[in-house]
Amino acid sequence: MFNNFEYPYFLLLLILIPLLAVYQYFFKETAYTTIRYSQISPFENAPKSWKLRLRNFPNYIRYVALALIIIAIARPQSHLSRDEKNIEGVDIVIALDISGSMLAQDFKPNRLEAAKDVARSFMQERANDNIGLVVFAGESFTQCPLTTDHSMLMELTSKVECGMIQDGTAIGDGLATAVNRIKDTKTKSKTIILLTDGVNNMGAIDPLTASEIAKDYKIRVYTIGVGKIGMAPFPFQTPFGTQYQNVEVKIDEPLLKDIAKSTGGKYFRSTDENSLKTIFKDIDNMEKSIIDVSYYHVKKDLAFGFLLAALLLLIIEALLRKTILRTNP
Amino acid sequence: MNEDLLKKVRKIEIKTKRLSRNIFSGQYHSAFKGRGMAFSEVREYQYGDEIRSIDWNVTARFNHPYVKIFEEERELTVVLLIDVSGSTFFGTNGSLKSEVITEMAAVLSFSAIQNNDKVGVIFFSDTVEKYIPPKKGSAHILRIIRELITYKQSDTKTSFDVAFKFMNNVIKKRSTCFLITDGFGKFDESLQITSRKHDFSTIIIRDKSEDEIPNIGLMRIHDNETGKDIWIDSSDKKLLKTFKEFRKKQDEELKQKFNRLGIDNIMVYTGEDYIRALISLFEKGGRK
Repeated sequence: MFNNFEYPYFLLLLILIPLLAVYQYFFKETAYTTIRYSQISPFENAPKSWKLRLRNFPNYIRYVALALIIIAIARPQSHLSRDEKNIEGVDIVIALDISGSMLAQDFKPNRLEAAKDVARSFMQERANDNIGLVVFAGESFTQCPLTTDHSMLMELTSKVECGMIQDGTAIGDGLATAVNRIKDTKTKSKTIILLTDGVNNMGAIDPLTASEIAKDYKIRVYTIGVGKIGMAPFPFQTPFGTQYQNVEVKIDEPLLKDIAKSTGGKYFRSTDENSLKTIFKDIDNMEKSIIDVSYYHVKKDLAFGFLLAALLLLIIEALLRKTILRTNP
Repeated sequence: MNEDLLKKVRKIEIKTKRLSRNIFSGQYHSAFKGRGMAFSEVREYQYGDEIRSIDWNVTARFNHPYVKIFEEERELTVVLLIDVSGSTFFGTNGSLKSEVITEMAAVLSFSAIQNNDKVGVIFFSDTVEKYIPPKKGSAHILRIIRELITYKQSDTKTSFDVAFKFMNNVIKKRSTCFLITDGFGKFDESLQITSRKHDFSTIIIRDKSEDEIPNIGLMRIHDNETGKDIWIDSSDKKLLKTFKEFRKKQDEELKQKFNRLGIDNIMVYTGEDYIRALISLFEKGGRK
């Protein structure tokens, strides 16, 4: 723990203490009230008692207390590096694809649920960051704005379901909504995690345009493509209930790679739940390293301890003066 | 200031005059007799007169027996040696030692004046501070009292030697001498000379805090004579004991010295009744 002072110039006052001691020794001593007595010669050669030797002890205690008070005025502070990362956090918006294709069961139980699970544990781990959630399919909307209230965020995440909005995959809209949510925050480090499983086939904004905007706002976009390579079972609603049919997985990988590259993020391909977890962990780690670079000081005032010690010393001094080292008159 | 002084003088006068008149005028008279008898007159012999006292010259001339009448010689000179050194400026029991000294000097002066004696005063510290030559009359006594009251003690030491030598030089006639002091100082052979030449008595005024210091913690005390300051720890039992023993020994040595030289001496504590002590002093003188 490294100690520092907020107002180190106040420490110059410490010079006053020796001056005070000298003054007390040379002037106060002679000005001390005396008792007139007829004859002191019998006392002149008497051995000094310990109380007489300690006579100035309360003065010394007072000097120490004064020194402590001056130190307290200079505001000693400790720097805690442990708390540093928690202060300037990262703003993260997760853009989650909730199109019908997210119900494919190449992930267990399905892509959407797996993504929600992983996102929730991600949120839990980054307890001090502002995190928001944007969902998109044929359109996009903000499920949860940037917040540090992670219990609410996680609850809202759990409520995300397929079919909340018109089906389709509007990657551009989703990204644009996320950018819109994150652009005005004061945090330096802004990140969007875009999770999708298809090809942009709807929406008013072109994904590349959205990525340009993200780039302008210096927002990193991590893109994650979700889906097995090859065929995956999709649910279909038939009059006889839900049936599954293998459909080829189509992800617009070049687009996602492009978005990630142009904004300084990275593209990941997830083929199952475990790989998705790993990807989120990777993103977690990458964002962590950025925080470590931006150093931050936590200052903790230690003056209170000094003041308390000074008060204690002053009480002891007063007690000594009134009791065993009592002087008269 | 002046009125205040007058008041004080008056107060002491009233108090001490009454004391000297009522309580021990007789004792004083008998204690300090004159030296021998002086012839005053002759008268006719009466039956019962001592034959020894018949004046043969006068008897022969008148052819009738006459006797000589002698009277005790009065008109003594009383000299008060008063210690005004700094150490008398101390007292814890109602009055300062110097105040008690003043009162006792006044009592002695009034007693002397009632017996038609002359009173002279020598104020001394380490020098002779003031000398009031012996005189009669109450105006003189009032002057003495005024001087006693107005005299300001300064940080001065005590030298008995100086006072005795001055006294031996100035008072040639044998006189009754009272030394009123607190006894802090050295006596040497001049005491012996003075005590032989005069009827010498010593009155020592003390304060009880000079025999034992009360336990009041640490204190800084100032020596009235040397002007030095020193810190002492009055809660130090060892110190208190040593001091008490020191004082006891000092007083005993002083007393032995006085007794060896045949000097009547009493010790009076401030706040105590000094009349009793004075009476005992007069009784001692009467036995001589």
